[in-house]
Amino acid sequence: MIGYYISLAMRSLRGTPILSALMVAAIAVGVGASMTTLTLNYMMSRNALADKDDVLFAVQLDNWDPHKAFHNPSEMPWQLTYKDAIDLLRSDIPSHQVAMHRWGGPIALEGSELRPYTVEARVTSRDFFALFDIPFIHGGTWPHAADNNSAYQIVLSQRTNEKLFGGENSVGRTVNFNGAPFTVVGVIEDWQPSPKVHDLNNGDFLESAEVFLPFGLHRALEIYPWGNTNGWKSEDINSYEDQLGSEYVWIQYWAQLDTPEQMERYRDYLTGFIRERKAQGRFPRPLKFGLSNPSEWLALNEVVDGDDRMLSWLSLAFLLVCLVNAVALLLAKFLRKAPEAGVRRALGASGRSIFSQHLVESGCIGFAGGLIGILMTLVGLALIRQLAMGHMDTVASMNWLMMLSAIGLAILSSLLAGLYPAWRISRTNPSIYLKTQ
Amino acid sequence: MLKMQSIRKSYRTDTIETHALRDFSLAVDEGEFVSVTGPSGSGKTTFLNIAGLLETPTSGQYLLDDEDVGNLNDRDRSRMRNEKIGFIFQGFNLIPDLSLFDNIDVPLRYRGLKGRERKKRIEKALEQVGLSARAKHLPAQLSGGQQQRVAIARALAGEPRFLLADEPTGNLDSLMARQVMELLEFINEWGTTIVMVTHDPDLARRAHRNIQIVDGQVADLQHGAASATAEIA
Repeated sequence: MIGYYISLAMRSLRGTPILSALMVAAIAVGVGASMTTLTLNYMMSRNALADKDDVLFAVQLDNWDPHKAFHNPSEMPWQLTYKDAIDLLRSDIPSHQVAMHRWGGPIALEGSELRPYTVEARVTSRDFFALFDIPFIHGGTWPHAADNNSAYQIVLSQRTNEKLFGGENSVGRTVNFNGAPFTVVGVIEDWQPSPKVHDLNNGDFLESAEVFLPFGLHRALEIYPWGNTNGWKSEDINSYEDQLGSEYVWIQYWAQLDTPEQMERYRDYLTGFIRERKAQGRFPRPLKFGLSNPSEWLALNEVVDGDDRMLSWLSLAFLLVCLVNAVALLLAKFLRKAPEAGVRRALGASGRSIFSQHLVESGCIGFAGGLIGILMTLVGLALIRQLAMGHMDTVASMNWLMMLSAIGLAILSSLLAGLYPAWRISRTNPSIYLKTQ
Repeated sequence: MLKMQSIRKSYRTDTIETHALRDFSLAVDEGEFVSVTGPSGSGKTTFLNIAGLLETPTSGQYLLDDEDVGNLNDRDRSRMRNEKIGFIFQGFNLIPDLSLFDNIDVPLRYRGLKGRERKKRIEKALEQVGLSARAKHLPAQLSGGQQQRVAIARALAGEPRFLLADEPTGNLDSLMARQVMELLEFINEWGTTIVMVTHDPDLARRAHRNIQIVDGQVADLQHGAASATAEIA
C-alpha cells in the first residue's frame, strides 16, 4: 500500500500547490537553518585520528609560572620548550614520537616559469608520517640523523608536487624553499585532517602543511615558528641559541604508545624527566604532565565550544517553530480533505489506513523539504565560508552523511508534524461527511 | 443477511441527549430489495450508517451474516465493510481529483487485490454502467446521472453482497432517476441485497418491501409484490 499512498500524496500535493509549497518551505527553512549549524558542529568535532585514539597521545609538561597555572582547562601549556622536546626525542619508549611546529615561506623551482609562492610548512621530526599514518606516493621520509643535524631535505604534499612537477616523481629533484635549496626525498598523499588535531594551536581549521622539513634544521636556518609562542618569565633573548634554550613553549609533541606497558613506562619516564629538571631548578609547579588521546585533545582544546552548542540548540528551536507552523498547515490541509477520508472509510479503509496515508503524505512533504533544506544548507555554508575568508573552508561543507542526515531530519520532522493531523483525520467520524459532501 | 435487535443510538452533547434510534429491530434476508422511508430526522441515515458499519449502536445487537459486529475492532469492521458492503450516496461521493478508473479502484486497493485483478473488475464495472469510454475522465466532467452510475460501478466492483443506497436518486432528474433505479433493480436480480433510503414513494414502491422509520423506530412494514420474506424481529 505504501506505493499507493505515495501516489495519493503526490496527487494531493499537486492539488494544493500553494499550501504544499508553504509546508515544504516551512520544513526546508527549518532544516536549512538547523543543518547549517549542525553540519558546522559535526565537521568541527570530527576526529580525523579516531582510529588511533588508543595509541596516540599529545604530550604536555607543566613547566609554567609557579604563581599562576596556564590558562586552559588542563592548566598546563599546550606546547613544550625546544630543549625539552629535544630531550624527549631521545626516549626509546614510544613506538613513534614527533616534535614539530608550524612554519612557512616562499617555494620556487629553479628554471621554472612558475613564480615563487608562499606555502605552509611543518618542521618536524621524521616519525611524523609514520605516527599519523600518512602514506607516501613517492620516496619516503628523511633519515634519523636529520632530526639532529641540518639536512636540506624536503617532503612535498601531492598538491605541491603537482604544482611544481606536474605530478611526476620528484624524488631527487631540488626545490628552493625560503632561499635555500632542498632535495625532495618524498611526496605524500594529500593529508588534510579537519580540525587539525595534530596542531590545534594555529588555526583549528586551516589547511595542513604543503611541505615538511627536518627538525634538525633549526640552528642552520634559525627557524622562528609561525604561530603561537608562549612564555611566563622575563628572559633575555639575544641570540637564536637563547631562543632555543629559553622557557618559551612552541613545540607540539605527540607520542605513539601501543601497549599499556609502554604507557606505564612512559609515565614513569616523564615523572623522572620532570624530577630531573626540578633538580636543575626548572619546572617550579607541582609535578604534572598530560597524555591526551586525539579525542581528549579535541575536547580539551574546546574545538566546539559552548557558543557553538548553544547555536545548535537555537537552530533546533527554530526548526521546532517551523514544525509548529507545518503542523497547523497540515491540519488545515488534512481536515479540508476530511470528506474524502470519510468516503475512503466507507469504502473499506481502516482508521489505521487513513492515518498511514496521511503520514506518508507528511513524509513526502518532509522529503521535498529536506531536498530544498540541503540547498539552503549549502547556501548557508557558502555564506559562512565567505564570511570566514578561508578559515572555515574545510568545515563549512557537507558530506554525504550530513546530506542524508538532512533528509532524515526533514522526514522525521515532517512525520512528527504530521502525527497529530493524521491522527485527527483518522479519528473523524466518516458518516458526518458522507451525507454532507 | 442483516439482523438488528433492539438497537438504540443516541447522541449526547453537554446538555442534550438525542435518540436517533430506539428499540430498533429489523431483519433483511439475502437477495431482498428493501426501501426505507420516513420523515427527515427520523433516523433513516443513522440506521444506514449502523448497517454499513460506519457507526456503532449505543446498545443492541447487530448480526451481519450471523456475525455479531459489535465485537469487531475497527480493522475487522473495515474489512467486513470492504468485502461485503457497497455504498451509494445521494451526493455520489466520488473523489473529485481521481479519474473514474481510480475512483472505482479505491475499495479494491483496500482489499489488497493485485493490479491485474483490479483492472479487470474496474473495466467490467464500468461496462455494466455503460461508461467504459469515460474511464480517464474526472467526475466533474460527467453529468449527475453519470456520476451516480460511477458510484454504482464503484460499489459493484467490490462484488458486495449487500448494497446500501442513501437517496441514490435524490440529486437526479426523473429520467436519470429512472435509469439509476433500473440499474439497482438489475443488480438486485443478480442476487445483491439492497437497502435503499428514499423520500420518493414511487421508488419505494418498486422495492420488495418498504420500511417506514418514525422517531427512530420501525413504524410500518409493507410487503411488496415479490419475495417478501423479511420480518420484524
